Amino acid sequence: MAELTYIQAISEGLRQEMRRDPRVFVLGEDVGVYGGAFKVTLGFQEEFGPWRVIDTPLSETAIVGGATGAALMGLRPVAEMQFADFVSCAWDHLVTVAAKQFFRARTPIPIVVRLPSGGGFSGGPFHSQNPESSFAHIPGLKIVCPATPADAKGLLATAIEDPNPVLFFEHKHLYRRIKAEVPEERYTIPFGQARTHRPGDDAVVVTWGAMVHTAAEAAERLAGEGYEVEVLDLRTLIPWDEERVLESVRRTSKVLVLHEDTRTGGFGAEIAATIAERAFEHLDAPIVRVAAPDTPVPFSPPLEKAFIPQVEDVVQALQELLAY
Amino acid sequence: MAVREAEPLSSLQEVREAGLDREDLLGIYRNLLITRGIEERGHILYKQGKIPGSFYTGRGNEAAAVGVATAMGPNDVGTPLHRDMGVHVVRGTEPWRIFAQYMGREGGPTRGRDGNVHMALAELGLYTMVSHLPAMLPVATGMALAFKIRGDHRVAVGWFGEGAAARGDTHESMNLAGVRRLPIVFVCDNNQWAYSTPTYLSYPVEHIADRAAAYGFEGVVVDGTDVLAVYREAKRAIEKARAGGGPTLLECVTLRMEGHAVHDDAFYVPKELFERWSEHDPIERFRAWLYEHAALTETEEDEIVSGVKRLLNDALERAEESPLPDPATLEEGVFASPEDLDAPHHK
Amino acid sequence: MSTETQIEVVMPQMGVSVSEGTITKWLKQPGDPIARDEPLLEISTDKVDTEVPSPGEGVLAEILVQEGETVEVGTVIARIGAAAAPAPPTGPAAAPAPPLAPVAAPPEPPPGSVEPGPVVSERGPEAPADEWAATDNGKRFISPVVARIAAEHGVDLAVVPGTGTGGRVTKKDILAYIASRAPAPPEEPGLATEPAPAAVATPAPPPPAQPPPAPATSAPAAPPSPAPPAAPEPLQAAPGEALEPMSAMRRGIAEHMRRSLDTAAHVTSAIEVDMSRVVALRQKLKPQVERDHGVNLTYLAFIARAAVDTLADYPWINGEIRDDQIVTRSFVNLGIAVELAEGKGLIVPVLRNAETLNLLGIAKGIADLAQRARGKKLLPDEVQGGTFTITNPGSYGTFHGTPIINQPQTAILGTYAVVKRPWVVQDELGNDVIAIRPIMNLTLTYDHRLVDGALAGRFLRDLREKLEVWDEAAY
Repeated sequence: MAELTYIQAISEGLRQEMRRDPRVFVLGEDVGVYGGAFKVTLGFQEEFGPWRVIDTPLSETAIVGGATGAALMGLRPVAEMQFADFVSCAWDHLVTVAAKQFFRARTPIPIVVRLPSGGGFSGGPFHSQNPESSFAHIPGLKIVCPATPADAKGLLATAIEDPNPVLFFEHKHLYRRIKAEVPEERYTIPFGQARTHRPGDDAVVVTWGAMVHTAAEAAERLAGEGYEVEVLDLRTLIPWDEERVLESVRRTSKVLVLHEDTRTGGFGAEIAATIAERAFEHLDAPIVRVAAPDTPVPFSPPLEKAFIPQVEDVVQALQELLAY
Repeated sequence: MAVREAEPLSSLQEVREAGLDREDLLGIYRNLLITRGIEERGHILYKQGKIPGSFYTGRGNEAAAVGVATAMGPNDVGTPLHRDMGVHVVRGTEPWRIFAQYMGREGGPTRGRDGNVHMALAELGLYTMVSHLPAMLPVATGMALAFKIRGDHRVAVGWFGEGAAARGDTHESMNLAGVRRLPIVFVCDNNQWAYSTPTYLSYPVEHIADRAAAYGFEGVVVDGTDVLAVYREAKRAIEKARAGGGPTLLECVTLRMEGHAVHDDAFYVPKELFERWSEHDPIERFRAWLYEHAALTETEEDEIVSGVKRLLNDALERAEESPLPDPATLEEGVFASPEDLDAPHHK
Repeated sequence: MSTETQIEVVMPQMGVSVSEGTITKWLKQPGDPIARDEPLLEISTDKVDTEVPSPGEGVLAEILVQEGETVEVGTVIARIGAAAAPAPPTGPAAAPAPPLAPVAAPPEPPPGSVEPGPVVSERGPEAPADEWAATDNGKRFISPVVARIAAEHGVDLAVVPGTGTGGRVTKKDILAYIASRAPAPPEEPGLATEPAPAAVATPAPPPPAQPPPAPATSAPAAPPSPAPPAAPEPLQAAPGEALEPMSAMRRGIAEHMRRSLDTAAHVTSAIEVDMSRVVALRQKLKPQVERDHGVNLTYLAFIARAAVDTLADYPWINGEIRDDQIVTRSFVNLGIAVELAEGKGLIVPVLRNAETLNLLGIAKGIADLAQRARGKKLLPDEVQGGTFTITNPGSYGTFHGTPIINQPQTAILGTYAVVKRPWVVQDELGNDVIAIRPIMNLTLTYDHRLVDGALAGRFLRDLREKLEVWDEAAY
């Protein structure tokens, strides 16, 4: 097993899929010669040629719409948005066309849209967003948010195999910060199965993406205070592992839902509502949400730090929850 | 590269050179009649309250739709729109399924999940439109991209209207197709009215086809009421694409002979425009041509007309026998399963 | 100042039969801003001492009833004016704290201190933790999971020590409680020699009426008052120690015990009783009473019946000192100390007009009260108005004790283990012989302010007499 960064794992996973399945191809802005804005596809064009690693014009609509058409013709496109923020330009094609096509016409749309998302590096309002919740509301789309290198690789393989449109949210802040053992062979990780990132019985933090690591650090600090806080990584939001979350709720009775996306209408609200509906009698405290405030992502470092939930915020919220 | 205005067809000889024999011509006539017949009956059903929602027709556009579809090869694909009933007819969609679609029944191609002309049968190489026009152009472009990647000798046909030409999807599709010289034909049904918006408020140049030059491929303007001219130009464009010659923008000029939908009386369209274009009714025009150039007999015509009538009567009956969808199945089919990928068109 | 916009604060009724209340402390002064539900004053009734939350938001306009005064329930004791109203003429008003400050808002930062950024609170829990736990009616919040577990295991939450915010019982608390009691014998209103209430008797009002723990921001000054403690520094456990917050009931008991010792001059006298006849009679009657009435005939019922009967001749022992008057009664409201599970607290339900009840009636009454006390089903009126109390710590074998008087009563009777002892009796010939007899000690703890030792001695003598020569027909 090799130690890979998060981005290396994605790159490696994608390369493996393209070697395995000739139907898999990549399209996006600057993905070819340049290797992508974050270099996920660096060296791909040399190996797979210009017709499987396609540099497109600056055309998110045509990228996602084109991927849809290619998928209808039997290919397995993996489209890259240079930043997840730009997927707004392709909203129509994900939401209007891809998400609804199977329901209407029984024609599956097996596409993967890779979305480098998240902030933490002064990317400002248009290079830092976490729009997963917006898409989670659209029936017909699957939402994947890996937090670790091994998950990123395994979930990417599953996404490419999946017969539906899959939005693959890669957290930019994790790209080169997280390094871990990743199996060299190909493997898939089923959607809808949460992962216990850290065990604990005193409370559970339900989260995904980069916040898994924020939560883990907070849990580590609280371990010093004698509390064992479980960190549950959802891994995929659509579908999401309701049963696993409810199991944790029943066991710990105290839940904190954490996400980097903004608060109102965030997916955390869905989780909280489900817990209230299905595990009310197991709650020993109000469900707590820690999320970004309802503002655009700010640019200046102190503002951005105040925007993105920090370890201290989670620690504080957990302390109050644990003491409740 | 300037836009080319296509000549009308005049002789049987020319038609034969374009690849159509007499049987084909009678078949085209029959398809034109079926196309109009379906929409006329649908119109009546709608007014009888048998069709929920809205009802759209393509009256005046029959020749454009039938002409292009007739030019497509069996493995070619397309994304026809709401004025393109003729494409479904030519590709072999059974009329009863269209009526069932109109009526929201299980037998319709979308099994009641979507309505009116939002339908297509993938096994016939057709892919369902959405209301957001021209959102299917990027999809058709992607199909062409797939053919290019794989080296398939197939062509995609993407339809759009002159109204939808104002949207960015049109530009992004044509630009990508032009850059990559994809095997695609962009067909513009220019019926002069985007709902109530006239052409001069939709685009500032003489022809939509003028834009093709900006994307590095050929633009052609053809009289959309001339089924044979449309056929000939579509055939040229499709075969050029198949041969690796890249895209073509084919603009079929017609007039929308009814309102945007049944609820619209089109008061904003000058009366004299309707009068002038009614002299160019595509079906009448082709019928006259058949009598003049292909020796159509009244017996033949009667046979065709009564055959179409029978077909549609039976179709309507069958459609009405098709059950309404079971509400219990509502939540099925939001997501596809791996086995859904096994459909032949998906290999 | 228009009265139309004013909100009247009235003396609340803290129990069905409570008719008056005493103001022990005003937490706000005229001119102070007050938020809705913010503690406004503390009152004392004969049932509970509690904080009174403000019925509205605004500025405390005037105080109509001063500290120490007792007024009838429903009396207007203060008025709250609109927030915009000018400060009343009571001198320099207190600092203009925002009137909308929530009950448990953190203290105002000192001038010049840095405001915490709004961002943290925006992501944090919506409400400060204290607000979660104590509802505005003074009840402790019971979370859904705790409610469910309590229902499933039949746990009286009042007896579970709470370690959550505001003393709330957390899931861990109740699970620990259940685990700790698991091997214990099933609870029943055991009396006399069966498992029975123990230790001292004290009126512990039902927990729901207990004041919520003081929010951390309550008055920092410390005037003499029975008020809950003001914002203490969090205690640190020394090595080997564990900290556990006092439950509301525990605090109530502590306060009540201390007050009794501060009030009465406690003296205890004891007497030994030969229970032979009672034992024999109980053996005879018990199966029949159990069968016909479903009641466990306990020794306590015999003792209670005899005590009530004896009290008729000793009105002062059934009496009370009120101001400088001696109150006596023509009735006996008999308090019975009931231990709640695991010694976590006591409650003293009252058997009213016990003088009208025969042995069976008393047995039934005691059984019913004990059962409902443990089930937390007592009505407020059933834990007050006692005139004399019996406590029964003898079930664990103790033979002597000095209980504390249940104020404002004058005496409390302690009953102890019935033990077989060699006992000197006279045979038919008048010779002393040693026999084995079931002997029980009784103690009477009395308030020497009113009852002298001789009176107590005579009471105990008469009570012994009644038990030793139990006249079946008379009871």
